[in-house]
This record gives sequence, C-alpha cells and structure tokens, in this order.
Amino acid sequence: MNFLKSLETSASGLYAERKRMDIIASNLSNIETTRTEEGGPYRRKMVVMSTKEMDQGFDDVFNNSLKGVQIEDVVEDKTPFKKVYNPGHPDADKNGYVLKPNVDLVVETTNMLMARRAFEANIAAIKATREMVMKALEIGR
Amino acid sequence: MPDKLSFAKTFHALEKAISIAQQRNSYITSNISNIDTPGYKPKDIDFKSELASALETNRTVDLEKTDPRHISLENNGRQIVEPYEEEREWNGYNWVNIDKEMTKLSENNLIYRSAVEVLLRKISLLKEVIKEGGQ
Repeated sequence: MNFLKSLETSASGLYAERKRMDIIASNLSNIETTRTEEGGPYRRKMVVMSTKEMDQGFDDVFNNSLKGVQIEDVVEDKTPFKKVYNPGHPDADKNGYVLKPNVDLVVETTNMLMARRAFEANIAAIKATREMVMKALEIGR
Repeated sequence: MPDKLSFAKTFHALEKAISIAQQRNSYITSNISNIDTPGYKPKDIDFKSELASALETNRTVDLEKTDPRHISLENNGRQIVEPYEEEREWNGYNWVNIDKEMTKLSENNLIYRSAVEVLLRKISLLKEVIKEGGQ
C-alpha cells in the first residue's frame, strides 16, 4: 500500500534527523574537550546524508524513483583546531598554547535549528498522510 | 468498471483522482525526507495531466491474457504515473524548496480529501435512491 510507503519514507527522514541531532549534541558537549582516545582535542563530526531505496515490493517496479533518506557516513571536520593561550592548562604546549576542538557554537546551533525544522517538516508530512488515511477509511461507512 | 451502474463515470474519475493524489503524496513525502540530502533532485507528478490521461487512455497495468476467457482488470489496474524532476533553484546544497514542498503537501492533502468527500456523498446519494426505491 502506497500510504505505508509514504509513512516509511517520512520515518526514514525522522530517523536521519534525530541521528544528526545526536551528532550535534556530541559536538556541543565536547566543545571544550582537549583529551580524546585518539589523542589530541575532540574533532567536530558531521553527518553525510544520502538517498535510500525503500524496500521494493511488486508494485514498486513502476515507481522505483521513490526515495527515502539515510545517514551514509559520519565524517570528521578537517578544519584546524583553535589555539588558545592558556599557560596554566595541563595540555598547554611549551609556548603556553592549548589546542581546543574545532567546534563552533554558532555553527552547531544553526545546524541544530535546521535539523529541528527538517524533523518538524517530516512530522507534518506524517500528519498529512495520516489525515488522508483517516479520510479514506470513511469510504464505505 | 461496469457501465450500467449509475454514477459509474463519476466513481471512475474519483477513483483515479484518489489514486493519483495518493501517489503524489508519496513523492512529496520523499522530497521532504530528502531535504538535507546533498544534490537531491525533487520529483513530482502533475496531478492535472495525469488525471486527464488516466480518464482518456488505459495507461494501467493489466493482466496478461492468453485465452479470451481470461478476466481483465478493465482499467481498474494500478495507474502508472510518470514522475518528472522539478526545475528548481539550486540552494547551495540541493534542489529541494521546503516551502514549495509543504504547500504542495497540504494542497494535495486537500485534493485527496475533497475527492474522498465527493465519493462519500455520491455513495450516500446511491444509498438514498436504493432506500427510497425499495419502499
């Protein structure tokens, strides 16, 4: 049934946006982290989204151009770390500079807003689909 | 669809409209879910021309007949729609325009619900005729 496909597509959107929010939260919480397992300060992470083939059923042969979304990869931001002068810090180098994560508060907040709006757009799509299904159920009553 | 049944034409047209609106809904939801996919091109179907061609021709899936006694779906098979890629402005990331998509979503929702509503009223008219005629 086509409506289930619509819902599935929107659900994939919700899932991807939520995962994106997780990554943003991780970036924000590690905005001051100077020690990581890999050594050095925390590197900002980003999600890469790609289209996702929805499960192909018999009747999808005719409309296989319907695509959902998925998180293809989580990549690290390669921009250089910020250098802050703080000689008292235990991770400071011999000149007194500390390498801080390349996380920018403004960038993260903007991305957070965008993820939230995209999430809401998917919710609106689910609501619209739901309304249509409810209306269709009235046929034959 | 049997021709002798009253309202057959209306029922047929409404059925096609509902089917096309339903499929358009899945294209719009697909576009909305790909709002953050780099390089994604939104797809849509033209409701008006799809409906017009659905009422004109038999562009549906039918059962293969190898014997004249085999049954046919008689234009009640699944409607094949042809999605097209929309011409949109590049927003620096992909071609999805979220405002347009949301507008289309609610517009299509309204079309669908009105079609179902008209169908419901047609059915209740038919019921009325059966009830009154039987008295």
